Amino acid sequence: MASISLADQLEDAIERMIAGPDSRPRKVDGNIGELLEIARELLLVPDPEFRASLQTELLRQRDAVPLLARIEIRSRASKKEPTRAAAGVDDILPTLFGAGCGSYPVRRGNFAVSVAIHAMLIASLATAGLWTRKAQPLAAHSFLVTDVSPYLLPQSMSASRGGGGGGDREKIAESGGRLPDFAREQITPPTIIVRREQPKLPEEPTVVGPPALPGLHTSQIGNPLSAILEPPSNGPGFAGGLGSGTGGGVGSGGGPGVGPGYGGGMGGGVYRVGGGVSAPRAIYDPDPEYSDEARKAKCQGTVLLWLIVGPDGKPRDIRVQQSLGMGLDERAVEAVRKWKFEPAMKDGRPVAVQVNVEISFRLF
Amino acid sequence: MKVLASHNDERLQIQAAQQDPAHFAELYENNFARVYAYVAHRVRDREEAQDLTADVFHQALAGLPRFEWRGLPFAAWLLGIAANVVSDRWQRFVKQVEVEADRLEPAIEDQVERRTMLYQLVDRLPPDQRRVIILRFVDQKSLGEIATELGRSEGAIKQLQLRALQNLRERLRSNHG
Repeated sequence: MASISLADQLEDAIERMIAGPDSRPRKVDGNIGELLEIARELLLVPDPEFRASLQTELLRQRDAVPLLARIEIRSRASKKEPTRAAAGVDDILPTLFGAGCGSYPVRRGNFAVSVAIHAMLIASLATAGLWTRKAQPLAAHSFLVTDVSPYLLPQSMSASRGGGGGGDREKIAESGGRLPDFAREQITPPTIIVRREQPKLPEEPTVVGPPALPGLHTSQIGNPLSAILEPPSNGPGFAGGLGSGTGGGVGSGGGPGVGPGYGGGMGGGVYRVGGGVSAPRAIYDPDPEYSDEARKAKCQGTVLLWLIVGPDGKPRDIRVQQSLGMGLDERAVEAVRKWKFEPAMKDGRPVAVQVNVEISFRLF
Repeated sequence: MKVLASHNDERLQIQAAQQDPAHFAELYENNFARVYAYVAHRVRDREEAQDLTADVFHQALAGLPRFEWRGLPFAAWLLGIAANVVSDRWQRFVKQVEVEADRLEPAIEDQVERRTMLYQLVDRLPPDQRRVIILRFVDQKSLGEIATELGRSEGAIKQLQLRALQNLRERLRSNHG
């Protein structure tokens, strides 16, 4: 009898829970409370039909019909068609060949799928000329331009950074001075100690970068970050230019540009997405936890974080741009610090970029 | 309780599936509940969770030839895809954190683990109890409708529901203990 009473109480509580999952029962004893907690979790238990049909469709995917498979699974899951009823004659849709072909019954699903395939093929052929890839605008609100280059390059909305370096295998670092002028192409790399006094084709030394970039206006060519003024030196790098790098530029990079990095332009900073730099992609992003303090105070809102995603895909230099308080800022930073990204790429190499992450805390 | 395959077994299963995708079924069976539990925990809606879970496994099967064994459980790779799929469904880099206001939420991993276990345990209930649970919580039918469908009395269905939930509670306790 007690057991019947327990079953009634439980059913009563479940009925209320299903009617309004957010409404918690007012007073239930511990026994019912535990069972009700399990019942609450069972509200999300997967449909066994979905599980089985997904498995079937995955096996079909290897036969190269993934799109079709997904359409079928989703329509089945969302409509919840009863599959228990046997397919009777009345359920068979008409086909070009009548009520079936040979010994195989015609199934409603197959007929619908067949119509869908043909419609898709016809539509695909009709619109084949429109299948040109368009550049998708990037989510600009998620990425901000920041340059932390030691060479103080002005911010740019359109160009990514590069870098360069050089040297002449000298024992001391390159001398300080102004940067050479920027040019689209480099003919003569910069040099402080001129090895050949009378070149056949005299040309002003330049580094590769947008010509509009400002330089420092001093007379002596050199590395503006170098503290060494005397004696003159081209630096310990090699292949021409100034610095510890290689390739005719100025600084520690490679190529005819300036600073860390390679390939021209100025380097050493954080890239922005766009201009040949792909967006990073979060591949592991555990949720932050709500702080007890915020939960008790019923505090909710959004924390905006600023961070750099390094070439290794790890976040660093995380800063709170928009604070929420109540311990939620710390929880957001703590979670995002564990995130892993597929790094942004430039010219096939991972690079550091700056992104914003918005964490929205909600109570329900 | 289904015991997870050992690392070596799992590695062999992955290699087999890479050579012949038909063997992906074993990996699917071993990992379905965990992936679904994770996605359901994130989206809190069965239809959407099923939709996203389907996406996860389709992407996993498509990406399986590129999978490299690094000693981590296969589930970790799948959960990485799942996290990405859920993030893509929402706006990228925008994270929603929702909790019930009057409850202390245990660690997410614990919740996902508990749900994984619960979903696996449902499959191991006696057939009549499992049927009642599916009809009641998946199809959300009333006890009267279930009684009619199964040809039993409403009281009997009520008892089956109670026994099923007690059964799940005991098995959860013993698995946690």
